[in-house]
This record gives sequence, structure tokens and C-alpha cells, in this order.
Amino acid sequence: MLTPTDRRDAVPTPDALADLLQAVSEARDHAAFAALFRHFAPRIKAYLIRRGVAPGQAEDLAQEAMVNVWRKAASFDRQRAAASTWIFTIARNLRIDQLRHDRDATSAAMPADEDAEDIAHDIVDNSPLPCDHAASAEIGLGVRAAIDSLPPEQARVLQLSFYEDQPHAAIAEALAIPLGTVKSRIRLAVGQLRQRLEYLKS
Amino acid sequence: MSTHHPADDLLLSLAAGSLDRASAIVVSAHLESCTHCCQQLELLEAVGGELLADIEPVDMEIGAFSRTLERLDQPVSVAVAQVPVVRPDLPAGMHWPRSLDGCDITPWKRLGPGMRWSRITVPGDPQANAFLLRMAAGMELAAHTHGGRELTQVLYGAFDDGRDVWRAGDLDDADGEVHHRPVVTAESECICLVALTGGRTRFDGFVARALGAWMGI
Repeated sequence: MLTPTDRRDAVPTPDALADLLQAVSEARDHAAFAALFRHFAPRIKAYLIRRGVAPGQAEDLAQEAMVNVWRKAASFDRQRAAASTWIFTIARNLRIDQLRHDRDATSAAMPADEDAEDIAHDIVDNSPLPCDHAASAEIGLGVRAAIDSLPPEQARVLQLSFYEDQPHAAIAEALAIPLGTVKSRIRLAVGQLRQRLEYLKS
Repeated sequence: MSTHHPADDLLLSLAAGSLDRASAIVVSAHLESCTHCCQQLELLEAVGGELLADIEPVDMEIGAFSRTLERLDQPVSVAVAQVPVVRPDLPAGMHWPRSLDGCDITPWKRLGPGMRWSRITVPGDPQANAFLLRMAAGMELAAHTHGGRELTQVLYGAFDDGRDVWRAGDLDDADGEVHHRPVVTAESECICLVALTGGRTRFDGFVARALGAWMGI
């Protein structure tokens, strides 16, 4: 029997998350969607705030990200990516889109009307993926173990890259190390991840 | 088959969504023809997804879920009929990278004998400095170094700058430590997609400097 605290802290397994996403895709299951919302919406909101989005807008974008999860669920393929990866890319793209949109709104002489906003979002929805995501099921499963095996200073550089609104130059400043060292830590970290995953596959 | 790939810091920035738009277009053009780098990007995106689980959540507002449910069934806007895109000509058999979709690309403009360029305007990012350079076989670009970072994806043909030969599919990543004079190889003309960030190109000669200033590179 779960206490309310356990319930809040329990993180669903990758398999459970993929099951939920599949239920949304195949059965348009509202309960499954609610479970995904509980897990991901507060994390997406936190991610957006850390990347410099104002809290009110982060709330709105996190909801929009979940709307996208509902609408695009059919394109999720658990053989190719983990649910968390798939949802992370949705949130990431939404933020890029928002930055572009904000810049457009400030640089445009005419105020953007509702239609223009919708079209701007459609363009991003249709923006081509550079990769026709090759089979990478193995990647999803081993990544956690691979991250955990990294030396702390390498893991830190990865974390700052994804979850702080800082270019690599600012990371160098924050950690008081030269930019070249940030780049070499990234190279080492990525190399280690790759090696570790190769090892897990074989 | 590429032999020169984007550095890990570029792929990581792209995966994290923090790469500037001009550089992102060039790196994405590379990914379109490079399975190796696609796998790298996927690995890094998977790291981003994993790290999302570690983040300290921020509570959603009360009623957020029901508001989201209301938004699910709102009609998705249908993009209006697209204006036909006019783009400059390309050599037979060459295709535009998909990463340039939505960008405005000017007609080829003459820079000098056997040398043309085209400016790329990125939607939503007027600061993005990206362009195409098209040079005839055997032509050379004036010697230069870089005030910032210059990313060059070879789309067609090849050039040799003394460091190595860069062929279609290769990405060159040059900064102030690289001083080079790219020469197009003899087989064919060469078309490159270039992004400049953090500073302008520094040409050695006066004429090249003047041209560079005029182009805004």
C-alpha cells in the first residue's frame, strides 16, 4: 500500500512510461494520459524555467507540450526511443519555437495576429528531423547506467548543458575552468557513454 | 560518406536545444547524410531524456490538467497554401538540405570570376549569419582566419585547404586558430553551406577584406 508521499515520489519505470504512451496512442486512454501528465508536466515546467522561461509561460508551454504528446503519440515507437527521450525532444523543440516566436514578435513591425501564431507553430511541427531515427532501442535502456558510471565532473558538464540556460562559455565560467576544458570534458563524457553502451550491447 | 564530423560539443548543444540557429542548420545538414552522427545525436537526446527524470519538479498550477484536456480537442490550425518557394539553381543531381526548409535563400550573386554566393535568412532569427558559397573548379578563396567560429558543410564537390581535403558530406569547424586558403579541387565546382558565429572572417588581403565586409561575413 503506497502512502501519499510514496505515490508522489514513485518514478515509473521506462517500460511503464512506454506502456502509458502506447495506451494514449492506441486507445486514446485519458487515465494513461493523466499518469503521463503527473510525471512529465512538472518536470517539463522545471526544465523550461531552468532554461530561462518565465514561470507563467513555462506553465503554459508545459501544458502545450502535453497537448503535443497527446496529438503526436502515434509517432512514438518504443523500439526506437525511450518515452522520456521522445517527450524531452517535444519540450526542447517547443522552447526553440517559443524563442523564435518571441524574437519575431519583437522584431516585426506589425503585431502578430492569432493566425500568424498558429502558422508559426505549424512550421515547427513540420520541421524536418535531421535523422530518420535509426534503431536505438538499446540506447534507451543502457543510458541510465552509462550516465551513472561517469566521473562526477563529466556528468556535471552534461547536466549543465541540458538543464541550465548556459552556453558552454558560461559553463566554463561557472565551474572556473577554461572553455577548452569544458569541450574536452564533453568529449570524454560522450566517449565514455558510447563505450559503456557498446559494452552493454555486447 | 563523411570523414570530417561535427565535434561532440556541437552535437551536445544541438541535442540540448541551445545551438544558435545558423550553426544548427549547418550541423543538421551534416546529419542528413551521416548515420554515424545521427546515432551520436540520438544518444545525447537519450541522455537529455534521462536527465529529465532527475530534475526537481515544479508543481503545475491547480486545474492545469483539466485545462490541458480542454485543449486536446481544439482544432489544429491548417497551414495556408504555401507560396511556391523560389530558390537559386543547383548543379544536376544536387538536392537542398532539408535543414534549409523555411529559410529565404537569395539568387546567386557574383563575387568575382568563378565565385558566387547567396545569403540565407533564417525565419525568426535575423541575427543568424549563414550563406552559401559556390566556386568553380580550381578557384581559391583568399587566405583568412576567423574572428569567431566558422562551420562549413560541403554540399557539392570538394576543397583542399592544405590541412586536408573536404568532400561533399564533410563538416569543417574552424576558429581563430585556423588560417587557411581553401582551393576547390579540379574535378568539379564546389558548393558550401557556411555559418559564422561570434565574429567575422578575417581576410588577409585588402580586396578580400572589402568584399567580406560588403557581404557581411
